[in-house]
Amino acid sequence: MTTAATNLRSVPLARRFLSFTWLTLGAALLVMAWAAVAQPSILIDTLVTGGMWALMAAGLAMVFGVMNIPNFAHGELFLLGSFTAFTVYSPIRDAMFNDPSLTVLKIFGPFPGMVAALLVGAVVGVLLEVVLFRPLRRRSREQWVMNTFLLTAGVSVVIVNGYRLAFGNNYHGVTRYWDVPPLEILGVPISVDRAMVLVIALVTIGLFAVFLQRTSLGRAIRAVSQDETGAQMAGIDLNRIFVLTMGLSCALAALAGAALLFLFPAYPDVGLQPLYLAWFVVILAGLGNIPGAIVGAFIVSLLQTLTAFYLRVGWVDVMPTVFIILILLFKPSGLFGSAVKGVWEQ
Amino acid sequence: MALLELSGVTRRFGGLTAVNDVTFNVEAGEIFGLIGPNGAGKTTLLSCLAGDLRPNAGSVRFDGRDTTGLPADRMCRLGLGRTFQIPRPFPNLSAFENVLVAATFGDPKLHGEAVARRALEMLEYVKFPRPIDTIASHLNAAQLKRLDLARALASHPKLLLLDELAAGLTPGELTSMATLLRRIRSDGVTILMVEHVMGLILELCDRLSVLQYGELIAHGDAATVARDERVREAYLGHDYVL
Repeated sequence: MTTAATNLRSVPLARRFLSFTWLTLGAALLVMAWAAVAQPSILIDTLVTGGMWALMAAGLAMVFGVMNIPNFAHGELFLLGSFTAFTVYSPIRDAMFNDPSLTVLKIFGPFPGMVAALLVGAVVGVLLEVVLFRPLRRRSREQWVMNTFLLTAGVSVVIVNGYRLAFGNNYHGVTRYWDVPPLEILGVPISVDRAMVLVIALVTIGLFAVFLQRTSLGRAIRAVSQDETGAQMAGIDLNRIFVLTMGLSCALAALAGAALLFLFPAYPDVGLQPLYLAWFVVILAGLGNIPGAIVGAFIVSLLQTLTAFYLRVGWVDVMPTVFIILILLFKPSGLFGSAVKGVWEQ
Repeated sequence: MALLELSGVTRRFGGLTAVNDVTFNVEAGEIFGLIGPNGAGKTTLLSCLAGDLRPNAGSVRFDGRDTTGLPADRMCRLGLGRTFQIPRPFPNLSAFENVLVAATFGDPKLHGEAVARRALEMLEYVKFPRPIDTIASHLNAAQLKRLDLARALASHPKLLLLDELAAGLTPGELTSMATLLRRIRSDGVTILMVEHVMGLILELCDRLSVLQYGELIAHGDAATVARDERVREAYLGHDYVL
């Protein structure tokens, strides 16, 4: 979990802030500050989508940092989350429709679906670890990153087509979670759905950060990501940590899918865009760097929002890609560097 | 009954037999030395005991039960602590967090506040010289060795495996390390140490075993082993006089 700050001790002050990392961060903060004054909608859009990419990317970064697995099935957890939320929310919505006086449902109706998505995500994550990765790990750790990459790509194909077989190609979505007039923040109307997405993202990321920093299990996860053998020698049962890491990461992705159901209806390929964006973020921040991924998510989202605002929506995925090409050219270890080194040789 | 009993422990890497049919016992309460030239298989043997490597043949009994091939985290919780030739702390955790992790997961009997207290005690015990919130990657070699030792002790081990703890220490640091090891032993922890610094070995160890090419070539109390012709030839060179 190398952050830029921990590496700064020996670098002279002038060079410290002229680095690519700080220039990028500074530029992003400036644009956001400007947006807050001139175009508040840019700031709000950035925060809302950024929060969700942060949930996706933090889980992806954690699984890569702790288990060295490049999870290309991460988007499918987004799909499972959104479908779970749809399934749980639909009867609640119907009940509200039939009896509009149920104000409790009006306020709290969407939450059971999100909690269910969180649980489904966790269970699927645990299953993936126990059924797929653990047997592979026991057999051989040679070419681990390549093997797990292929394995997760395969899992993705299986889940997408399994879903297609079971639930068909139709869109399963909702137009809105909370049927109330939009709020007004900084003079910009913002739907309650979007505001809630931001709240959910911030609360979840906050809890996640506290979990990693302050609890003994969180400390164990960080320890394993820094030195697997050393962690085992300190009495940490690696299998438990791997199960926990995978479950947590998948739960976060599923929660993102559930919370964004009103933007992304559940359909077989819905996970693709979130998957790629999460990978953009992780590459941008540095592989396996969790705090970096959270910051990076907001940078990518800012880039997307600016693109959508000043160019066209069609360029929304192009601009982050261009930015990532630049990053890989000039700073291959990512903006914030990475604790994961030499992973491709493992 | 001995605390640690090795019988016929063998470990091969492909065609190379790194440890071949090694048998010895470590009694509770002693400081036991394991010496031998570079590449003799000492670290491999330690890894087989600590659960990092699985022996191809033979058995390891620790504290009255068969522990052959148990994983390292089980061994740690059973009461086996280990330090590394090159200390390997968690580089981005603070010194305190490093020890805290070991206390939390290494000693299943500790809970709640007792964990943090143990971690603090151990840092004090090894006389850790820096503020405890120093990030481990900012420590120097001698400080890392103490941190490694505190980490191993935090899990409340019955047996401590030390892999070249003295390597790279200055004579002054060496003396205080010897004092510390004696204190650890008198506090009831058995020590099995792999070491190249002969002075320290002869000063501390009750008994010695000598490995060469993965095989045990001599065994006994320190003075006898040091006088053994084969040992002097294999390890100390032809004309080495003690």
